[in-house]
Amino acid sequence: MLILDLLINGLIIGVFYALMAMGLSLIFGILKIVNFAHGEFYMVGAYAYTLAAVMLKVPPWLALPLAFFAGAIVGLVVERLLIRPLYAGYTSWGLKRDEYAVIVTFALSILLINLVDKFVGPYGIRGPPLVGNARVHVGPAIVSGHRLVASLVAIALVAGTMLLVRYSHWGRQIQAVAQNRLGASLAGTDPARVSGIVFALAGGLAAVAGALLANVFNPTPDVGLFPATKAYVIIVLGGMGSIAGAVVASLLLGVLESFGSVYISYEYRDTFGLIILMIVLLIRPQGLLGEHSREV
Amino acid sequence: MRRIVDTRGRMRTDFLASLAVLAIVAFLPAVMTSDYWRGVIVVSMYFALLAISWNLLAGYTGQFSLAPATFAMIGGYTTGLLAYHFGATAVLGIPAAIVVGGVIGLLLAAIVMRLRGPYLALTTLSFAEIIRVVIANSIDFTRGDLGLNVPSLFERRLTSYYVMLAVVAGIQAGVYWLLRGPGGLYLRAIRDDEVAAAGRGVDTVRWKTYAFALSAAIGGLAGALYAHFAQFVSPELGLVSQAGLVISMVVIGGLGSLGGPIVGAVLVYVTSELLREVGGYQLIVFAILVILFARFFRDGLWGLLRSGYERRFVTSDVRTVTAE
Repeated sequence: MLILDLLINGLIIGVFYALMAMGLSLIFGILKIVNFAHGEFYMVGAYAYTLAAVMLKVPPWLALPLAFFAGAIVGLVVERLLIRPLYAGYTSWGLKRDEYAVIVTFALSILLINLVDKFVGPYGIRGPPLVGNARVHVGPAIVSGHRLVASLVAIALVAGTMLLVRYSHWGRQIQAVAQNRLGASLAGTDPARVSGIVFALAGGLAAVAGALLANVFNPTPDVGLFPATKAYVIIVLGGMGSIAGAVVASLLLGVLESFGSVYISYEYRDTFGLIILMIVLLIRPQGLLGEHSREV
Repeated sequence: MRRIVDTRGRMRTDFLASLAVLAIVAFLPAVMTSDYWRGVIVVSMYFALLAISWNLLAGYTGQFSLAPATFAMIGGYTTGLLAYHFGATAVLGIPAAIVVGGVIGLLLAAIVMRLRGPYLALTTLSFAEIIRVVIANSIDFTRGDLGLNVPSLFERRLTSYYVMLAVVAGIQAGVYWLLRGPGGLYLRAIRDDEVAAAGRGVDTVRWKTYAFALSAAIGGLAGALYAHFAQFVSPELGLVSQAGLVISMVVIGGLGSLGGPIVGAVLVYVTSELLREVGGYQLIVFAILVILFARFFRDGLWGLLRSGYERRFVTSDVRTVTAE
């Protein structure tokens, strides 16, 4: 039953990838930029959860929403200070816009990693588990209790975010700005407010992913690099800007890596996704479920 | 408001000013006797080469690659592996590094030819990581993370110092020669508007390919020289953070200017050595500086110096046209 075991473990990893990738995809959807500091939102969440639980003795189930808010606040501040110039009255920037976004988010990533490294310390701190570490049988696979609960929380959040984006008022505003920024603002939606909401949501989701996995991957300053790389692959694979595509691609990548590391090569498991990313961009740049935005 | 200025006259001034900066560096050993600090300048010349190569691609052609450090790693490993497996000397290793770098640059150009903006950034980032992981995991061939010992090129540090400096000056002159001719015009046209450039008859595929190959070849040369100077190469040479360092040097120095990369590389690397001694705040300081420069001083230090110079000394030969 190795195959079923690999499948379940791959899906579990995939759900956490989805938490990261959805936010990245939302940001790309409304601003057409890639946030190279997304892994640091994850890192902020992992530290907020672990430090709150270990130092302040906050119960883990309460530290989880705390991590979400920490990530959301960081996301909001980043948007207001650094991302806003991308759309607020800089119409003549033209091509330089992409460069600015890459430079600033890249530098932000280095800044946050080194701030934590300097002021919290470079060593990993193990996050507490959400529940006792008893092992649970899920079909043929044996999963630790913490991982099971964490993945259930992640599934709930992924589903909740999808519903929120699809049906809520805020979600519809996000869709409107993603489809057509000018058209949305003509219809009375404030794109600046929507950008703030999206960055807060993306930061919060990535932070929760970090918090949920703090027990599995000990938070270190550069803990976010690995999940962020996965998220880049996923948004390309799923179609940049597509939420459903991001979720499908996350699960696909999780399963693929789980099988690939056993059947193809363990050393090169982290390159599978990157090779897929390059192939997809060359052959099908719109991804699996990519959408075309509407022009006015 | 967009200013249209006499770019050729300005470029000549920039080129001469950048040679003046290199001349100052050439006289430094007279007052700087410590071997350690001379070594720091040698390494900063290595970064200057990488910064020039990346600036050619990102600043003048608009191809925002995240793989500048990868080509240095490729160059270092080319000469390192030739020496390790075949006992080849630097006379063979360094030209081989240039060729291998250039050829892999052609390959990258073919892959990313149709991609722009964030797609280009993601693909070059993946390319960089794949090459690094392959080198780090091919343990039988490259000794993996252990790295390779590379024979040294010159006995005396001062010889390395002046050789590196001469190479930087030579490459700078070559880049200037390219940019002031029609090629430079084509590259900048591609940067400003690729579709319009193609519409005006610029062979965009060909010139983008040239830019990638040339930038990669310079990177390969830089990596090979560094490997012989440090007598060691490891996959760490190609880390994304190294690419980040090169990018921050160019952004602080001045993206899309001739002198910016050299000034940025020397200032950032020397400052980083100074800050290392006071407690490792260098990356925090640089990240903040990069954000501030990208946000408020888009032309970098070089641009600030130049606008000060032009306001003071230049009146007639800079035409300022207000558009939009």
